[in-house]
Amino acid sequence: MRPSTAERRSPARGPLWPWWSGRSASQRSCALLGIVIAALLCLGCLVAAGIAGGRLWNNATGRVQEEGPTAWPSDSATLTVAVSPGMKDVFDGLVDDFNRQGRSTPDGNTMQVQTMELSPQEMVDKSLRMPDFQALAPDSSLWLNQLERRWSALQEEHEAADGEALIPLGNRRTGAVVRYAASPIVIAAWEEVARDLGWPAEAVGWEEIQRKATDDPAFKWNHPSTSHASGLLATLAEFYAGAGVTRGLTEEKATDAETLAYVQAVEATVRFYGESEDVLIEQLAAEGRGFLDAFVTQERVVVSWNATHGDQRLVAIYPAEGTLWADHPLALLTSGADEMPVTDNQGRVFHALAEFLTSRAVQKRLLEAGYRPADLEISLDQAGSPFAGSDAVDWRQPETTLQIPSASVVEVVQNVWWYTKRPTNVYLVVDTSGSMAGDKLSRTKEALQAFVSQIRGDRDRVGLIEFGTDLKSTDPLERLDDVRRLELAERIAGMEANGETALLDAVWYGHERIQQTADREAINALVVMTDGQENASGRGVSDLVWRLEQEGPVDIIVFTIAFGRGADEALLQRIADAGGGQFRRADETDIEDLYRVISTYF
Amino acid sequence: MNRTRWIFVAIVAVAVVIVGVSLLWRALRTDPGGQLTVERPEDITVRVLTALPVEPWVRAAADDFNGSGPELDGVPLHVEVTAMDGLSALGRWDRNDFGALPANADVENLTAEQEAALEDFPTVWIPDSRYLVELANASYKERLGRDVFLTDGQYRARPIAISLFTWGIYESRAQVLEDAFAEISWRTIHDAAVAKGGWPELDGEASWGYFKLVVPNPNKNAGGLAAMIGAAGEYYGRTDISVEDLTDPAFQAWLGELMGAVTDVSSASAYTAEDFALFGYSVGDGGQLLESDLLQNMQGILTRWEDPLVLYYPDYVTWFDFPFTVWIGPETSALEKNAALAFQDHLLSAAQQESALAYGLRPANPEVAVDAATDSLFVKWADQGVEPVVPRADAMRSPNRDVLLALLRWFELNVVE
Repeated sequence: MRPSTAERRSPARGPLWPWWSGRSASQRSCALLGIVIAALLCLGCLVAAGIAGGRLWNNATGRVQEEGPTAWPSDSATLTVAVSPGMKDVFDGLVDDFNRQGRSTPDGNTMQVQTMELSPQEMVDKSLRMPDFQALAPDSSLWLNQLERRWSALQEEHEAADGEALIPLGNRRTGAVVRYAASPIVIAAWEEVARDLGWPAEAVGWEEIQRKATDDPAFKWNHPSTSHASGLLATLAEFYAGAGVTRGLTEEKATDAETLAYVQAVEATVRFYGESEDVLIEQLAAEGRGFLDAFVTQERVVVSWNATHGDQRLVAIYPAEGTLWADHPLALLTSGADEMPVTDNQGRVFHALAEFLTSRAVQKRLLEAGYRPADLEISLDQAGSPFAGSDAVDWRQPETTLQIPSASVVEVVQNVWWYTKRPTNVYLVVDTSGSMAGDKLSRTKEALQAFVSQIRGDRDRVGLIEFGTDLKSTDPLERLDDVRRLELAERIAGMEANGETALLDAVWYGHERIQQTADREAINALVVMTDGQENASGRGVSDLVWRLEQEGPVDIIVFTIAFGRGADEALLQRIADAGGGQFRRADETDIEDLYRVISTYF
Repeated sequence: MNRTRWIFVAIVAVAVVIVGVSLLWRALRTDPGGQLTVERPEDITVRVLTALPVEPWVRAAADDFNGSGPELDGVPLHVEVTAMDGLSALGRWDRNDFGALPANADVENLTAEQEAALEDFPTVWIPDSRYLVELANASYKERLGRDVFLTDGQYRARPIAISLFTWGIYESRAQVLEDAFAEISWRTIHDAAVAKGGWPELDGEASWGYFKLVVPNPNKNAGGLAAMIGAAGEYYGRTDISVEDLTDPAFQAWLGELMGAVTDVSSASAYTAEDFALFGYSVGDGGQLLESDLLQNMQGILTRWEDPLVLYYPDYVTWFDFPFTVWIGPETSALEKNAALAFQDHLLSAAQQESALAYGLRPANPEVAVDAATDSLFVKWADQGVEPVVPRADAMRSPNRDVLLALLRWFELNVVE
């Protein structure tokens, strides 16, 4: 259709104009009304869209927060508690009971507690930055103090100095802290060993244990690494003895050459370090009296052992120089800047859990488990108490404690310990057969890297044996300095999966190489991992077992890991038994954790 | 389009507009920062931040109060109690962690964020001692140019209970100290602390090790600061301690030797007397702690360790008066402030003052005697040295801000570090 003259003359009026001008007044009124209504309609839609959009925006903002590594809904009533390994089983049992109560928050959410196992040292490290837990239950308040010290240092770095002298109080990483149980650190010894040391007639202390271990090569004792309260205390006691004082340990005294030489000599007598006390108990049960003569642990372990092993009794020796308490605090974290805040509901769950843990019924259960309850109205020598009528533990003890140095000195002791502890020669024997291809190999590489990073002693030596159809590569034992770490990292990164599984030959080789070092000063170990069945070795199982059981120049502990369900667990168990070590299972989700745990033995 | 259709469209459009506007109305009403908030609340919450020594009693009193269904002008009241050491709270006031509004804030037109931030603002603070209120007030006066806590008038800080610092020493150890020194004082405790041979040198048991002093960590417990000020008072023989006194090298050396006998300052919790009971003489032979804390834990000590504590009253005493202090700034409403006064009246009632005796607290109301209740700990533990009437002694004056900072700094450098 051609445009009209008017249209040509008035192009700015638009295409509707002819229609408008051609209508009657009533039609125009109706049209006007329609336009107004349409405008109102648009306005209404815009308002509704605005509100909906705002809500969507808010939701989106929430989702962004939730996508982070440490995310939870803003009304979350699920409290995640990091628990130290020694307490984990007991704590989990109590948490199950708590969850079963089905308590609710005021807004109707069900209170839930979940736990994750971490060593106290790991709790401190993780608590400093966006932890995936809101509360922590280490074995001692020592760790909370270390956390506060490091947190305070971080805050000082972040806060701009404004020149005003603010009162330096109340700015802490932990909010509410509740203590729900306690147990003194003791030297647990078999009864005949304790009597040999002079118990019960004479006071026995760290000095006697250290002298016995130094004088008698057959004496086998152990303490955990300094990542646990009992290990830290044993180490502190050595530093005190080395410095010739019982209080006032300073950084200067702790790092004095004579002190370090003394600690090094004592540490050389430690059979190996280790992880949680419960694993140690399992090993004692499995290997019996010959496994260790004495070990440093919480008193509750002695109670627990004697309750189920009447034939071979452990005795708690309360060190004459003084000891330390594992005081089992439960602490709620405060939120740091740029972190998901601990929700009000999580705070409520924490307080409900604290109330539950300190309730009379739970406190009595903790007493049954060998802990000293925080409820002071519960007597330790009442009928039915594991402390009543036993001389293996003494509720009147300890009479004195060692002075706990400042957090800075404790940190120095922890760091210096790596240079005084018994050195390690460890071969990582790794299966890279064809079945390891894909995610398994990726996870294994990460786990091996984590293991190497955990070994921090400057005298530790680590080697790598990679096997498939045969020995693919045999990296020698070398001191783990910075250059060596880089070499190992490259070697691990370059591993490829192919071939069959010559497990026995690889273990044989590693064992032979360590024996050749003839290094009796060090902890010697093989950490063997495989995901499959032995099918390519030239040697048989019996030969290898015979070899492992023979007395050689050095004692070698063999840890074996079955990665996934396809591994020959019976064979790995047999190898571990013959090597005086442990057999463990792992999968892609926990292989790294397992390597980290095994590293604590060195 | 015919008229009927236009009418139909118009009705739909009007309905949509009504819905849209009503949604907007609701959104504004539910927005806490909006201007359409109702003035009369459905209920009133009194948030009480209380010092640790009185917390169990205050919490029990709050439960009793809440259970009675209290109302103010027809609006139901509810008291919420949060425990926080007085010094820690002072540090938080000092940094304005609770989020008091700036001096130039438009109180009538607060943003949603400002409103939300004030939801947990304390209505009442019950610190350990009046001097903490004065220090917090001074801090805010500098920041805001006005008082936030009052010293007179209806909302003035009023003590709700009192207690003082006394020596609490395990009986077996106390006997040896008395035999050796004839008295218990900071001077004799210092001599015991520096005995190189430990307890055997004082004719005590070898198994007791060295003399171990209990002093609360001042970073977590106001009692630690009080103990050190008491020690300074006795050292100088006067009640007013200055920064110059604290920085005197001879005094610092003396205090350093004293603190060298503390077994575990670094990880000590805020609940020192409770720790004293839980860990017994293994962590401390004795120390100067709050009388009420010692009395509350006496039974636990007997149950767990058999060896009881004995109380001795020092020549220079430090009192805690636990003032009930209402925040008078615009962060809390007038209704909340008045509700706080209702709870204060409850705490000061004869019944609650008598119930404080069961917590080892001395009543603020002078008409209530310390033996007024059958469960009074002053009656129960009379044989352990607790005195209904405190022996004549000099009361230490409260530290000013500079003294407080100097002591905290000294502690940080010489004990914690």
